[in-house]
Amino acid sequence: MEKLHYKFETKNPIKKPIHIGVVASGDLEVIFRPTDSDETVVNIVTGSDGFKEVWQNVLDRFFARYPIQADIEINDFGSTPGVVNLRLTQAMEALQDEK
Amino acid sequence: MKNSFVELHARERAEALLDGKVRELVGPLDNMISPHLEPQGIVPESDDGVVLMRGTINGKNALVISIEGKFQGGGIGEVSGAKIVAALEKALEDNKAGKTIYPVIVLDTGGVRLQEANYGLLSISEIHNAVIALKNYVPVIGLVPGRVGSFGGMSITASILSYLIATKKARIALNGPEVIEQEAGVREFDSSDKDLIWNTLGTKQRLATGLVDEVVEDTVDDIKKSVSEAIDEKKDAHRTEHADFYLSLLDKLDLTKKLDIKEYRKLYPEVKTQKHVIADATESDKPGTKSRGRLWFEKLTGIKNAKSSVPTVLHAEKDGKEYVAIVPDADNKFPRVRDGEVGLEEGFAVASIVNKVVAEDADKDVKRPIIMVVDVPSQAYGYQEELIGIHVSLGSSAAAYAKARQAGHPVIAFIPGDAVSGGFLAHGLQSNRLIALDDTSITIQAMSKASAARITQRTIAELEEATKHVPAMAYDIDNYEKLGALYKLVKGIGSYDASDENVSKIKDIIDEAIKSTVGKPADLHFRYETPIAVESGRKATNAVRKAVFEQWDV
Repeated sequence: MEKLHYKFETKNPIKKPIHIGVVASGDLEVIFRPTDSDETVVNIVTGSDGFKEVWQNVLDRFFARYPIQADIEINDFGSTPGVVNLRLTQAMEALQDEK
Repeated sequence: MKNSFVELHARERAEALLDGKVRELVGPLDNMISPHLEPQGIVPESDDGVVLMRGTINGKNALVISIEGKFQGGGIGEVSGAKIVAALEKALEDNKAGKTIYPVIVLDTGGVRLQEANYGLLSISEIHNAVIALKNYVPVIGLVPGRVGSFGGMSITASILSYLIATKKARIALNGPEVIEQEAGVREFDSSDKDLIWNTLGTKQRLATGLVDEVVEDTVDDIKKSVSEAIDEKKDAHRTEHADFYLSLLDKLDLTKKLDIKEYRKLYPEVKTQKHVIADATESDKPGTKSRGRLWFEKLTGIKNAKSSVPTVLHAEKDGKEYVAIVPDADNKFPRVRDGEVGLEEGFAVASIVNKVVAEDADKDVKRPIIMVVDVPSQAYGYQEELIGIHVSLGSSAAAYAKARQAGHPVIAFIPGDAVSGGFLAHGLQSNRLIALDDTSITIQAMSKASAARITQRTIAELEEATKHVPAMAYDIDNYEKLGALYKLVKGIGSYDASDENVSKIKDIIDEAIKSTVGKPADLHFRYETPIAVESGRKATNAVRKAVFEQWDV
């Protein structure tokens, strides 16, 4: 198990908290919470050690496309980058549904 | 499969059962996360694998408790367990107040979460207590969708629920095939033989022999319809109330050969229920198989070489108290209980004894205390035990003890020996006071180290390392005390030190414990309300309970 922390300069605050996914084999859950801070913090607990750079790349790409401002928690049980991206995008869809 | 219920996750399953507008209690955003997983290097989940949802089913007020089988095998730990218990207790409170609410439990669970071991056992016994109480008001419907099924302590829960619905993709058993193979050898149960597993533990077999009530197609519509009908018709199988039937069935078994599934199916409907009364133990010339449980039972009751019609189950009334012990029997006809394990006969026999005590005292103002002498190294691991349904046997004694306590009998467990796993759930954990000797020979746990290592895919060394960080993982009574569940840990008396002086001390402590129950609620709250529990041992439990209570009504 490894704990990872990232920060991103973002600009679009979210209004509602969102939860997506399940901590199952090859899967993960992501939680977005509104924040008062002017940056986005991502805290990850992952069962697969040694993928710090891969996470960085996936998150860079995600925030380039969706520069949301939020507190983000991720509990990951060995998902591939594709699954991570899918869950993050699903969370975005859920956010948009609420609006 | 199109519209499959099994393929859904726990939250989606709860939503699928409820009519439309739903409200989740203590959900993923509430930060109720197991404090015991991260210290062991395990990724936690924000809802701890249990979803509590309120809404209506076919217009009727309902609570759905849905266990996520994909998170840690649907195992019950401290937080997930406390969520279930708190929700059931609120449902009980509402029903008592005339606000009818129907609980439905979606079981997709391996039972105790071995990474939180003793918390799982405590929680599951607390679930049993709440279910038994609720059944006085409403049916508590169980649904086993699969693929995990319902195993371990949660199979005991399945047995005590009012009505059990399952799909063909589910299995129900006390011990998983891997555990039986680990404990009893590959010749007892070959865990790589998938046909054997499905024919023994699969729901088709379970339906034919009364262990589930209905097998449904795996579609959301079919499952919702069955659940809704069970609620509307208040279905109740009274599964754990057939001790006489099962004891009659066990009389008929030919134990010289391995019971064949076909033969068993033929035998099952032919069984004629005969009344089985297990008389008080009497003195004999021949000592029984030596054990800590037998020693203390004999000393506390004054019966020398105690003998009973069921050699492994001793009970007797002494000084107005009913003592019950499960003991080893080196020559027992069931090989898997020879070391004192709780098997098929033991659970049903204990149920029969306890139910009789309750019936006899029904009209009395002061109910007889029931004292369990606990020395159970585990439940019986065996093929025919699983085929017949050992989880129902253990459910029968657990239900009987819970009913006795709820009827006002002080139920006290005295632990001079081992208190392990399903054996402890069946005989010990339904007590409202636990007294234990402070002796290093006592093992108190959810599973043997070898099996726990195999199931959690860790080495025994890793397992032992984990026990240093999480007291609930440890196997000794001193770490158990840290959970706060004990009424008293008796120092200075060893497991085998049953001198007259020590026996008299223990009797005094038992009397104190009985006195401490007078005028107090007949539930299991004591365990998380002790100073140790509040301070540290059940901190998460108490926080979860508070959160569920606050969110119950909007």
